[in-house]
Order: sequence, then structure tokens, then C-alpha cells
Amino acid sequence: MGKFVIIGERIHCISPSIKKAMETMDPAPILARAKEQLDAGATYLHVNIGPAEKNGEELMKWAVTTIQSEFDNVPLCLDTANRKAIEAGISVYNRSKGKPIVNSADAGDRIENIDLAADNDAIVIALCSKAGVPADNDERMMYCQEMLERGMELGMDPTEDMWFDPLFLVIKGMQDKQMDVLEFIKQLSDMGFKSTGGLSNVSNMAPKELRPILDSTTVAMAMYCGLTSAIVNPCDRRLVETIKSADIIKNNALYADSFLDL
Amino acid sequence: MAFKRNPQTFNASINEVTIGTGDKAVTLGGGNTFPMYTFDGEAKNKVAIGVEISDSGVDMTVPGIAEYYAGAEGIGAIAKKASEMPGADFVVLTLDGADPNGANKSVEDCVAVAKEVADAIDCPLAIQGCKNIEKDIQLFEKVAEALAGKNVLFISAREESYKSIAAAAVMAYKQKISAESAVDINLAKQLNVLISQMGIQPENYVMNVGSAAAGYGFEYVASTLDRVRGAALGQNDAMLQMPIVTPVSSEAWSVKEAVVSEEDFPEWGAREERGIEMEVSTAAAVIAGGSNAVILRHPKTVDTIARLVGALM
Repeated sequence: MGKFVIIGERIHCISPSIKKAMETMDPAPILARAKEQLDAGATYLHVNIGPAEKNGEELMKWAVTTIQSEFDNVPLCLDTANRKAIEAGISVYNRSKGKPIVNSADAGDRIENIDLAADNDAIVIALCSKAGVPADNDERMMYCQEMLERGMELGMDPTEDMWFDPLFLVIKGMQDKQMDVLEFIKQLSDMGFKSTGGLSNVSNMAPKELRPILDSTTVAMAMYCGLTSAIVNPCDRRLVETIKSADIIKNNALYADSFLDL
Repeated sequence: MAFKRNPQTFNASINEVTIGTGDKAVTLGGGNTFPMYTFDGEAKNKVAIGVEISDSGVDMTVPGIAEYYAGAEGIGAIAKKASEMPGADFVVLTLDGADPNGANKSVEDCVAVAKEVADAIDCPLAIQGCKNIEKDIQLFEKVAEALAGKNVLFISAREESYKSIAAAAVMAYKQKISAESAVDINLAKQLNVLISQMGIQPENYVMNVGSAAAGYGFEYVASTLDRVRGAALGQNDAMLQMPIVTPVSSEAWSVKEAVVSEEDFPEWGAREERGIEMEVSTAAAVIAGGSNAVILRHPKTVDTIARLVGALM
């Protein structure tokens, strides 16, 4: 198995400074966020430009070229409800360090994002959900199969280019569902599929000082079950150290005393 | 059912490191397949052969070696002969005489020897120390300075000495170094990490992950080589993608089979033949494991290994 893929989540229009930078096409705040995440251990960077209904295509192209030209064609995960904007971003995307990721498809309204990824030779994050939270793993698996069939019909390589998202759930409120999510990751792994997702959702609404411990424990347990990637904040040192340690224990990377520096 | 060819390809490759200058410079590494798997992809550069000579002179006890160097007076002439040996790509000067527990030659004397060798040959040069950490640091600093511009490979930098040697040889005089660890894959990686953290670029160092004569713990060397190349290519581990340069002759010619006389062990046959066999079998085995260069002594070994490499790469 390859090393765990950390997708850095911090270039997101929900952040006021990034929102402003996107509105004014000011590269500095975005590049600063990119750099701190790459320095902290991110492999992919997530770029969320929001709904971007007006100038989405122009904005995504600008974001992709701005970030890739500054950071040696770092691979990116593109996120917006505007499909044309994603296609526009991919049209200027350099693949030398990895395919673009389309975030995301689901088994409901957003299923056409699988077509988008297939048409553009991209990876798709396939969220195992249709509307709302799946009741149980049978339901998750049904959605997974629906998306899998669609991807395969379109000629995608499902073990490489479809990364299934089990839908991580918040502990504070859905504590009794946590083991289901882990079990589902195990099922995906047993079928040979890659997986990812918004892992920090588990610690939503918990006190700030508790989030790193909840996130890092979740990631360790999920990696044991076979999780291959997560969309996280790589500047959470505890989390990244946990991921690197789990990669060593899983023999995904060779141990050296300085492994945390790599 | 027809045989379906399924090449094993990697999105990773071994670094390229060039030693020497001009037409005869040698580039090591560069491939993106398992060793000798030329049916899967490009090996890029051939396995290189270094011919070892010593500042202590020619080993007159081995007839084939004595005969090859016959008439070569002085280290310069010996070096020239070594560089002309059929199959040789570079010359390796071992400064045995510097050993404080042996002849304890001064650093100045060793620098003079190294200069004479460098001036006598037009192929790349590698310098091996005397294996005394303190003395090697002093030696390498001065030799690196004296041979500035020659792009010499210094063998080796170890856990205890890498800082001084990397600073002097690579940073000050733009030479190359070999990071040596003793059959310990985690230390091999760690040493590469530490050297890279000094700011040394990948094109400036190779590694020696350990060596042993066939039959003398070689299985540990073999598994280390396998795991190093497996991680370098399979896991795209940048800290193990350095070309591997393995000193073979010093191991092969010092084990019992290559040392004891025919008088003492008549049933074993001629000593020279045994030595060559140890050297050939060890060299072939480390090449199969992923070495990008081997260091050898006997003309017959050099010829045999050169033909092996020529036929397979």
C-alpha cells in the first residue's frame, strides 16, 4: 500500500480571508495557506471556491494555475457546485504530480460528478449517501454500488480513480454511529477500494482543545480499518504525527528515526 | 491461453549521480525498474565498475594482479594501468597507509598520492579512506580541497562523520560522497535524511548499504538491498533513491577462502582462483540486488563482471 494521502482542507471560501482573496483574486493569502499546509505534510490541497455561480470558471482556472505554478504542480482536489468551473480548472491543471480530484459525487443529485471525472480522467470522491445521513451500512453499500456501476460503465478504474467517502459523522450527537463508519471503511478496504472523507467532522462542536485528540484517534482507528486518505487540517500537528506513525506501523513507509520530519 | 506480458512499472526512479568530468565521466543510477529488469523498463545507466588500487602498492601475492601491473613503477603508473583495465569505468584509490594503527602516513603524504593518481588518469576517481573515522575526516577534507574540480567520490561518510565530510567534500569543494551504513535499512534511510537535511542535493551523494562476501552474512546484505530498492521504487521513498556503490574487493579478498595458502589447504586448489570466485560471485550478487556500481580488484573479475553487465543491460 502507498502512504496515506493527506488532503489539506484549509483553502476554503468559508474562511473570511480566503473568501476575500478569491473575490479580489489576491494570490498572497491563498499561497500562504498552501505553503503552511504543504510544509506541515499535505500531499493534495483542497480548493473550495464555494458556489461560484458568476465567475466560477475564471476563478477556478486562476486558483489552479496560481497554486500549481508556485508549488511545483502540487496535486489539487477541486470543490465547487459549479461543474463548469471544475472542468475549467482541470483544463489548466498540470498532472505531473497526480491526477486532479473532483469533490464530490454522491448517489443523489451530484451523481453526474462521476461523469465529469470520467470525462476528464480525474479521480472522484464518491460520497456514500443520497440525501442526508445513511441509516446504516447496508444503505451506504447500496449507494456505493450505484456509484461504482456508473463509474465502471463510464470506463473508470474503480480501484484507482474512485475514492469512496463513508461520510464521517459527528461524535457529539451521533456517537453510536462511529463504529458503523469504521466497519464500512473496512468493507471498502476488503473490496480493494480507496477511501477518503472529511474526517474532522467527527470532532465538530467539541471544545477546540479536544479536536486534535478526537481526530487523531479516529484517523488511527480508520487507518487500521483501511482508510487511505482524508481531507483534514494538516496544520494539526498531533493528527499528522499520528498519520505518519500509522503509516510506519502499517509498513506503508520505511522507518527512520527522522520519520516525523519527512 | 497466450502469455500476457505485464511490465512492472513504477512512478519512481533511482537518482542519477555523475562522477568525474569530461568524456569519461560516469553517471550512476537513473533506472525505474528492479535491478536488471530491462524487460520492464529502462535501466538508463549501466552498472559501473571501479578498479581498486592501494597507496600501499600492488598485491604481489596474487599472480594475476602482480602480472597485470608488472612494470608500473609508482602510484601514478599503477593508477594508469588500473584505468586501462578492460571493463574499468573508474579508479578507486584506497588510502590504507593512512591508518593510525598501520603505516600512519601523514595527511600531506596521502594528498600527494591522491594528486598523483588524479593526474595520471582521465577516468573518474573515487577515494576510499582507511576506515579510521578521525583520520578519514582529516584526509577527505584535504584531498577534497586538493582535487577540487575533479568531481571525486569520497567513500565513505558514516553516522559519526557525515557532517564534517559532507561539509568539506560536497559543500566546500563540490565533490560527491557515499553514505555508508552497515546492513541496517533504517539507518541507511536515516543517514540519507540527515545528509539531505544539511541541504545536500540528491545528485551529490550515493550510498553503500553494506557489503559482505558471499557466504559471510551475505543473506543480510541481499535482503537489505531488496528492501532498499523495494521502498525506493514501490513506495517512492525519496530517501532511499540514491544509487548504490558497493565495495566488493575489500570483502571478497579478506575472507578465509581468498586468504589461506594452497600449501595449507591443498584440497581447495589455487588461492588466486578462489579469490576470483569470491569476488565474482559477490559482485554478481550485489548487482542482482541493486548495486549501481561495484569496486573490484582482479583483472579477471573486472572482465567477467563487465561482460555480465554488458550482456544483461
